[in-house]
Amino acid sequence: MAPRSRLRAIVRIGAPLLLIGLLSGCLIPPDPKTEAAKDVFNLYLLVLALAAIVFIGVEGFLLYAVFRYRRKPGDDVLPEQLHGNNTVEVIWTLIPTVIVFTLFGFSMITLGEVNAKADNPTTIQVDGFQWQWTFRYDDGPSITGTAVDPPVLAVPVGEPVRLVLNSLDVNHSFYVPQFLIKRDLIPVGENGTPNELEFTVSEEGTYSGQCAEFCGAFHDDMTFSVEAMSRDAFDQFIASGGAPPEPAEGECSTTIQLAAVESIRFDTDSIEVPAGEDFCVELTNNDTVPHDFGVVETQYTGEIVQPGESLTYVVPAMEAGDYTFLCTLHPTAMVGDLTVTE
Amino acid sequence: MATTTLEPRAAGYRRAWVLDWLTTVDHKKIGILYIVNSFLFFFAAGILALVVRSELAVPGMQFLDEQTYNQAFTMHGTIMLFLFIIPVLSGFGNYIVPLQLGAPDMAFPRINALSFWLLPLGGLLIFSGYLFGGAAAEGWTSYAPLSNRAEGVGTDLWIIGLALVGTASILGAVNFITTIFKMRAPGMTLFRMPIFVWTILVTATLILLATPVLTAGLIALFIDRNYGGSFFDPSVGGNPILWQHIFWFFGHPEVYIVILPGMGVVSEVLPVFSRKPLFGYKAFVFATIAIGLLSFSVWAHHMFTTGGALFLPFFSFMTALIGIPTGVKMFNWLGTLYRGKLVFSTAMLFALGFISMFLIGGISGVMLASPPIDFHVQDTYFVVAHLHYVFFGGSVFAVFAATYYWFPKMFGRKLNEPLGKIHFWIHFIGFNLAFFPMHELGLLGMPRRIADYADRPDWVILNFMSTVGAFMIAVSVIPFLINVIATFINGEPAGDDPWEANTLEWATTSPPPPYNFDRLPPIHSERPLFFLTHGHGHAAERPGDLEEGSEEDAEHRKGVV
Repeated sequence: MAPRSRLRAIVRIGAPLLLIGLLSGCLIPPDPKTEAAKDVFNLYLLVLALAAIVFIGVEGFLLYAVFRYRRKPGDDVLPEQLHGNNTVEVIWTLIPTVIVFTLFGFSMITLGEVNAKADNPTTIQVDGFQWQWTFRYDDGPSITGTAVDPPVLAVPVGEPVRLVLNSLDVNHSFYVPQFLIKRDLIPVGENGTPNELEFTVSEEGTYSGQCAEFCGAFHDDMTFSVEAMSRDAFDQFIASGGAPPEPAEGECSTTIQLAAVESIRFDTDSIEVPAGEDFCVELTNNDTVPHDFGVVETQYTGEIVQPGESLTYVVPAMEAGDYTFLCTLHPTAMVGDLTVTE
Repeated sequence: MATTTLEPRAAGYRRAWVLDWLTTVDHKKIGILYIVNSFLFFFAAGILALVVRSELAVPGMQFLDEQTYNQAFTMHGTIMLFLFIIPVLSGFGNYIVPLQLGAPDMAFPRINALSFWLLPLGGLLIFSGYLFGGAAAEGWTSYAPLSNRAEGVGTDLWIIGLALVGTASILGAVNFITTIFKMRAPGMTLFRMPIFVWTILVTATLILLATPVLTAGLIALFIDRNYGGSFFDPSVGGNPILWQHIFWFFGHPEVYIVILPGMGVVSEVLPVFSRKPLFGYKAFVFATIAIGLLSFSVWAHHMFTTGGALFLPFFSFMTALIGIPTGVKMFNWLGTLYRGKLVFSTAMLFALGFISMFLIGGISGVMLASPPIDFHVQDTYFVVAHLHYVFFGGSVFAVFAATYYWFPKMFGRKLNEPLGKIHFWIHFIGFNLAFFPMHELGLLGMPRRIADYADRPDWVILNFMSTVGAFMIAVSVIPFLINVIATFINGEPAGDDPWEANTLEWATTSPPPPYNFDRLPPIHSERPLFFLTHGHGHAAERPGDLEEGSEEDAEHRKGVV
């Protein structure tokens, strides 16, 4: 019997230690990088500690019962038929009550800190659409990403930043794991008020984020990063941008009229141009989300056209043959045949 | 002159085997149809889960394109919830509830057959999207306005199929409630009903109150998509958040619709294999009712990150409150084990697995009730882990506990125990390997429902572990299927009461005859069979049980034919 009881002793002592090790080794969120995220992180640690106590208590008892109260072979004596015990039952109603009230109290304190509003934050418009982001600055640049070149959201470090979260089509969610927060972009129509999200980044650096609310086919392409920089660098960034894209220069003997229409479509799925000379494509965006024009084979990609605007691209000359044109923001939904003829 | 012989009446109705099963209105046959049908959908949706996990094993797109991936996880979620977990528990309810009540059948046998046959029809409609250009791909929650705009007929088929499945649930719920209130055997007062019946009663009430709301939402969505409605489309004055309110007003009670019967199963299995009564029967009943009531006041905790005018403290508080009755139940189960004499049958192992796994799902649920923590982990793999610890670690473990526990009653043969234990351990380890790493993935910030993910070493290893776990779960089904087939061929005969159980279903033959009972034992407690074998001795602490022939009993006896 000796080896067996030693085994039991090892299990009894080792199992809880293993569990504590597992729980403390993982199950920790990333390092918080905003002021509010630090509060959330601390709240999480408190909750995790409570969770660990409950977990170890219950699973520990379960394991103990499994070993201690095993029915021996041939034992036909009934155990004592305990139906209940009021005192014990009142006590164990109080235990979860105390735990959940503690959790609720601390959560509400932290919620106040997370939702705190600053007086004069730097305000940035965030537009989410299938399946990219546009970050728009007052008197500054407007940045739209593509699947291969995700957009960068520049923010000043150590200052409150307010994002206005506009959706141009379906629900999206702005999520930066290291900020320990996300908020949904809900399409609200003309009279609605979009959601806002405020934070103060505490450390310079680049933090990756992505859309966290399922938004259709290429939901996984909606990545971006946040670059927190000093005030000077941020001012410089604002000053450098802001100019609208230059109108296209150049002479074209052929101009193709192309329109992007509602629900992510081109108005035609085939266009034909002459070989050996530059040609122009005038893209009118009648859709509710941004689009652009590109050619798959030559990897030509034009500027992005915002909803309600139009732009003329000068596409370099191509040899005769069959090509595919597309909107690089919506490479599967918006494609067509481009035929170049002699 | 020929003599007339009297033959048993049943012989007059003998039909071909297939026709008999297709037209049966016997609650036991319908129950088995439910269970078999549900397991077929379980395997189909399980294959879809393997498809999803294979794609996620390593970063990059290997097998699928994005849209196929989105269809796979949408169908997986929809089928698992609506065509496996809810119906399989209804199936056990169908088979067991009339037996446990000492009733000959359900109250409305034909409605019972209808509510079953709507299920395969609805399920096939949902799946048939694959034949018409692609199944629905908006997630099982189908959030507007994505679902308004989704192209193709797959989403419409999904809506129609779910409406049928919902109708089936509602009909079933009416049937259960009527049966439980009107068809109890003499002496079977409400507080002598087995816990499983109690949980089915509360579940049926939840279905009756919640499912019509979903059906209304589905019809509104169908009008939006096909007849130019504007319930949920903001560009024409609708409100997309309204869909989320409707969906989750159904969706959260739905969680309890799925877990309460599972708790009922565990509360039947634990006492039998501990050879003790359930500790705190009445507290358990009140906790079940409390969970049912509270479940209608917490729906918006699925919507914390939608901003707007949502009053978070209310929903956070109500959600935290649900932790209390759930905690009470947890202690009741532990109290049942305390100083018992535990027999580790496969059913018992699955019941213990339920307790230890559901605990993890419960803890992560309480964490999610805290809005600041929810802001971080909402819509990440943390939530995926949480819901699988509740639905899979909870309900599916209970389904297998029920299968091993009641199989001898249904077919007269016991499932093989060693094979059952192999099934349990592969299942248990695979489950934890598949879903525990998801907690960490979510905390690290991996969103759910993405077909491809960033090539980060920590995400890759956790995803790979999870995929290995998923395949282990699939492997665990093999010994289970072998076990079922082998038992049909050459299983150990079970006898009427192989587990020395407590409740009335074990007081008749295995399988029970049509209309179930020739005669019933007297019912003086929630354990009539225990009472029969061991007499009054056990009940000394509860004088109420000793009062034979109390007025209540007498009233019930008048109903005896």
